[in-house]
Amino acid sequence: MTVSGRDDELRVRYAGLADVLIPAFDGMPSATQADVVTYWIDVVLALRTDLGPAFFEALEHAEGHPSEAVARLIDERPDAFSALGTLTAGAYFMNERVRELIEYPGQTTRDFVDELPLYLEMLERVDERGPIYRPTPDASHDGDME
Amino acid sequence: MSIHPPDEVADVIVIGAGASGSVAVRELALAGLSVVCLEQGDWTRRSDFPGQRPEWELVAQQQWSADPNVRRASADYPVEVSDSEIDPLMYNAVGGSTVLYAANWVRFVPSDFRVRTLDQVADDWPLTYEDLQPYYERMDQDMGVSGLGGDPAYPPGAPPPLPPLPLGSIGRRGAQGMDQLGWHWWPGSNAIAARAYRGRSPCVRQGTCMTGCPHGAKASTDLTHWPEALSYGAKLVTGARVREITVDARGRASGALYIDRDGREHFQAASSVIVAANGVGTPRLLLNSKSKLFPDGLANHSGLVGRRLMMHPFAAVIGLYDDPLESWIGPAGQTIHSMQFYETDESRGFVRGAKWNILPTGGPLGVRWGFIGRPVAEQWGADFHRNVRRSMGHSFQWGVMGEDLPDEQNRVELDDVLTDSDAIPAPKVVYRSSANARAMMDFHVARVREAHAAAGAVETMTRTMRDCGWHLLGTARMGEDSRTSVVDQWGRAHDVPNLYVIDGSVFVTSSAVNPTATIMALALRCVEHLIEQRRDQASLT
Repeated sequence: MTVSGRDDELRVRYAGLADVLIPAFDGMPSATQADVVTYWIDVVLALRTDLGPAFFEALEHAEGHPSEAVARLIDERPDAFSALGTLTAGAYFMNERVRELIEYPGQTTRDFVDELPLYLEMLERVDERGPIYRPTPDASHDGDME
Repeated sequence: MSIHPPDEVADVIVIGAGASGSVAVRELALAGLSVVCLEQGDWTRRSDFPGQRPEWELVAQQQWSADPNVRRASADYPVEVSDSEIDPLMYNAVGGSTVLYAANWVRFVPSDFRVRTLDQVADDWPLTYEDLQPYYERMDQDMGVSGLGGDPAYPPGAPPPLPPLPLGSIGRRGAQGMDQLGWHWWPGSNAIAARAYRGRSPCVRQGTCMTGCPHGAKASTDLTHWPEALSYGAKLVTGARVREITVDARGRASGALYIDRDGREHFQAASSVIVAANGVGTPRLLLNSKSKLFPDGLANHSGLVGRRLMMHPFAAVIGLYDDPLESWIGPAGQTIHSMQFYETDESRGFVRGAKWNILPTGGPLGVRWGFIGRPVAEQWGADFHRNVRRSMGHSFQWGVMGEDLPDEQNRVELDDVLTDSDAIPAPKVVYRSSANARAMMDFHVARVREAHAAAGAVETMTRTMRDCGWHLLGTARMGEDSRTSVVDQWGRAHDVPNLYVIDGSVFVTSSAVNPTATIMALALRCVEHLIEQRRDQASLT
């Protein structure tokens, strides 16, 4: 299930909706500028096949001006709109250039560092305030205890 | 459907290869008993975990969701939740939910075992913190826990075997806020290896713990217990969905009927049966195991099988900060925790309390999660970019987990219609939160906002969650009186002397902490008692 395999009208319609959701703003590209419509949406549709039917339901019921269509979907087909939003945002953030612009390197790895010296002084103040738990009230057991 | 002939009679069947079942199987096999574990799921390959791939956050919402109704994997069974305020979460595989858990490794405090005595609500446990402490300390070693001893929220004891994981920018910033207020905090205790430990790799702080650790640093029992259990001769049958525990004419458990993934039914006979299928799966199985002797379900003469379900209420309070905090760095996991408001103070208008812990907010889809619930117009358009810019790398989450007191109306029962893929009746969860829990969460969320403000947050956002049923507790409670409990303090069913329950179902109260440390310590205590009993019987004969 892909957008690129659909007819031109549907792809143009999706491009309009995607740019209403994610327009160009303050140095950030719009959804279409970030190749969401031409590439990434098909990638994420393959990853989230569960959302495909609702996503295409949204496209099929989004005739007319994109802003008005989005407003209508929100009111009348919230589940379809949710799928449209989840997949469009997911596709947008798959673009490496977008990740660079928001300064997100992905889930990177790093080695262990002993940070205790960085917070030891604060921790000593916790320790100095003393225990905060309520002890077991009855040391002796009843019933079939060991 | 044909029933295949039984294998030889096992000394013990363990149903479920998760947190508690893994402990039981390893100890039983080590003791030289023949043990067969029936697990409906399979092994999860480490290379399948998505944390190192760019689509991580997108697939975490479905294929790697902890909600079986969302994930819908072949090993899962559906859970009817239309009458529940919280969705139960679990993972059905070798290692069970430890494969996806956050690995917060937190003990109960002493008062958690004496709730009736101290606060005049709920019930006392038939054991104390002091009874369980040696088992907690052994499980710390077995799981390779990282943390720092000396936490004043707990009685003295042995420190964890590994040093605490780094707090990172988010943990240190949160600690600064707590320090300003003079409130308790402590480095988080996690079942995640800070250094290489017993074949596990050290944590690299990737922050994707809850979709499985691709590095093998997190202590899931497929890594910590199963290799050893198998080397001792334990038999593991994967893809084995148990339909019924059978009983003989005397009302003793005789074995289990299970269905393999090709739809064939098998019977495994055993001298003893241990159920370790979690707080939903265990009562489901007992209720499905009806017979002439047990018309209301196995071991259910008290009527309490499935009753008293507890699932911790949870709120996430996200703080937005001007400074860069690298807030996608792990563990996730807990960097620090607080027990400042854990104990009862009746002047607050409720009893019991909550535990807090700091978590990263993740990548861009994760930080957007904080804005869900706002008007749609504020989530899209220019605000889409503004929200990501404000929060990406500039935020962290205080998670607030409140104690859920037992209520017999909160329950697991069998659904009249819904079944799993093997036509076995599915569980239905009926759950409502209490006025006490709501008041508790309101109080704690207000205090957490103060903690964020003291740490320099410019804004906070609060979300309560429906999909927070990570902890499934109380549905086959332990106790001394067979009229008011299902099993005794050793997990042995009052009604069926060779049937044991050892998972979170046996909890008397829920505490307000992540329960896996207690589940596994209790399981160890129970199974060692079972082994001792068998030795005593053997020596007599």
